[in-house]
Amino acid sequence: MDVLQLLGEGFAGALTPANLLWVLVGCLLGTAVGVLPGLGSSMAVALLLPITFSLDPTAAFIMFAGVYFGGLFGDSTMGILMNTPGQASAIASTFEGHKMALNGRAAQALATAAIGAFIGGFVASIVVVFVAPALADFSSRFGPAEFFALAVFAFAATSSVVTDNVVKGLTALFIGLGIAVIGIDGVSGAPRFTMDSPNLFDGVSLVTVTVAILALGEVIYVACLERHTSNKALIKPTGRPWLSRRELKEAAPAWARGTAIGLPFGVVPAGGSEIPTFLAYGVEKRLDARRKDPQFGKGAIRGLAAPEAAGNSTTGMAMGALLALGLPISATAAIMLAAFRQYGLQPGPLLFDRAPDLVWSLLASFFIAMVVLLILNLPFAMLWAKLLLIPRPYLYAGITVFCGLGIYATSGSTFDLLMLLGIGLLGFLMRALDFPLAPLIIGMVLGPLAETSLRDAAMSSNGDFSVLVQSPITIVLYALLALVLIFSVRGRIVARKREKQLTNA
Amino acid sequence: MTFPPNPTATSAVVGDRLRLVSGPGIAALLKGLTMPAIITAFATYLVVGIFTMKVPANAVFPGPQFFPAIIAGGLYIFAVALVVSALREMRETSAARPDIAAVTADAIGGDELDAESDDAAPARPVRVDVRSLLWVVLSFLGFAFLLDILGWIIAAGLLFWCVARAFGSTKHLGGLIVGLTVSSIAYIGFDMVLGMPLPSGILGGF
Repeated sequence: MDVLQLLGEGFAGALTPANLLWVLVGCLLGTAVGVLPGLGSSMAVALLLPITFSLDPTAAFIMFAGVYFGGLFGDSTMGILMNTPGQASAIASTFEGHKMALNGRAAQALATAAIGAFIGGFVASIVVVFVAPALADFSSRFGPAEFFALAVFAFAATSSVVTDNVVKGLTALFIGLGIAVIGIDGVSGAPRFTMDSPNLFDGVSLVTVTVAILALGEVIYVACLERHTSNKALIKPTGRPWLSRRELKEAAPAWARGTAIGLPFGVVPAGGSEIPTFLAYGVEKRLDARRKDPQFGKGAIRGLAAPEAAGNSTTGMAMGALLALGLPISATAAIMLAAFRQYGLQPGPLLFDRAPDLVWSLLASFFIAMVVLLILNLPFAMLWAKLLLIPRPYLYAGITVFCGLGIYATSGSTFDLLMLLGIGLLGFLMRALDFPLAPLIIGMVLGPLAETSLRDAAMSSNGDFSVLVQSPITIVLYALLALVLIFSVRGRIVARKREKQLTNA
Repeated sequence: MTFPPNPTATSAVVGDRLRLVSGPGIAALLKGLTMPAIITAFATYLVVGIFTMKVPANAVFPGPQFFPAIIAGGLYIFAVALVVSALREMRETSAARPDIAAVTADAIGGDELDAESDDAAPARPVRVDVRSLLWVVLSFLGFAFLLDILGWIIAAGLLFWCVARAFGSTKHLGGLIVGLTVSSIAYIGFDMVLGMPLPSGILGGF
């Protein structure tokens, strides 16, 4: 069937009043958590996960999409106005964005960021619409060996390439894998690591783990630091919240380059949009240095436009990879995958055949969410900054109450609340000791897939593991992984050498 | 880039670039050994589970014990690697600044933060605020056990108040009022409108 026709049907499904309401709710929530420093979209999605179970799946995912993109629209606001990026993907935008604000161009900086995010997300959504079905079609040829290779790829990339300490990344990954094996074994039916407690027969719920690690652990961590945080001054933007023709002309190539840099990272499991944002920033900086009148350091509009576009185009593509391959590339995408599973849906090739209504409505809602977010952010960025008036004690107290609410409402047991607290403490320790959290979530989500596909592959060949590397697709995947690893090791050695030179000099 | 290259580990107060530190010497070593201890315990739990597992007779290789065994083995290896790097780090820091190490090692547990604030380190080092930590953890523990007795509205309101306190809020009455309002709204929204069951507890008699 024609892609455009399917998309049209998706729009018809997504444009019902009820679904429009959920898009709006998601966008509002996403922007709000994005604007508030310290609250990322992954935390928002984790907190929403238990609460959305009473909705029908289409409505829930449309809302999630709004939150997911909204977080990226909002996070640059505080970075620009206060020099406090709300989440890691906004760090690159903060450098030049805050300088623009200091120079009295705060309103234009906010507009540049919002338009950049819009362009990146919109282009990515278009690409996803055309590429995802083909990708799903291709991945329908995947067997257990291929899925195992994909999982290994995701594990290696998230735990070692993205993090600065490989051992810490792998430790986090293996803790996630370990938590995932608790419960009744899906293949043989043997209860594993349950201590014969019925509370553990279904395993440790992924919802509990994500809420504990991303939300409660964060609350405990911030509580320990709260008295040390300094209050920074907020820059009040004045003037026109739109761009002059000259500024548009200046920013346009940066938006385009940022989008192009971000797109491929959406299908590479490299931990989300942090790397592309920094890459886009670096490219613009290098290009800028060649110009007659370098703008970087003085508030270059391009240094803000490119990372914003890159961040959102990666996020958009990541949704495509999640839908078509069932492969989450970031913690947030991993939680979305968990949400699909809660509804009994398995993202991947079969999803396009089994639930086309849901998939196309969701894809259509991406476009709607982008437009809604542009409207919410372009003229009203200053209103969002007012959210900072919420006293931080109340904000974090509210988050804690929501953690308890979500977990208790889905499980109804004290045991799960205690589990939440225990894993929350683990999350706190990992933050305090500088362990990355994304590998734990990815390990927890993809662990069962890796285990069953490994065992299915080995069982079908009577215990011969060489079956894992026999098909051409797996060989390509492992070769690609080897390349990525070599590249990152090389980069690390270069960085270390440079550091040594600096300390010696 | 001045921000840490590992974005998933830094969180929250990102703009402030705080770094949790402990005094050099024994405290640093203990800090370095926390995670290895946890993962060793977890790996041992897995190993005990692997040996006591009741495997169905029809399970063929690789059975339900295969994958957990790899995980447990990996965790033991990483624990050793983390201990080694913690030891190396401790030796480096104490070798680099023997004077500071000697002074603060005596003062451990004594004075608060900023033992090395005039250090050239890019992030402002701070210590964990134990009082806030205990307030959050103990109030959540209390919430978990008392929820069924007190009911959602009262228990969640109290939890809100306690956490706000942990964050240094001094308006106690105001916090309690806001907390009870939040918990009541959540009760109305989720229990009554969305139909998610929340305990009514001692208020249920009315």
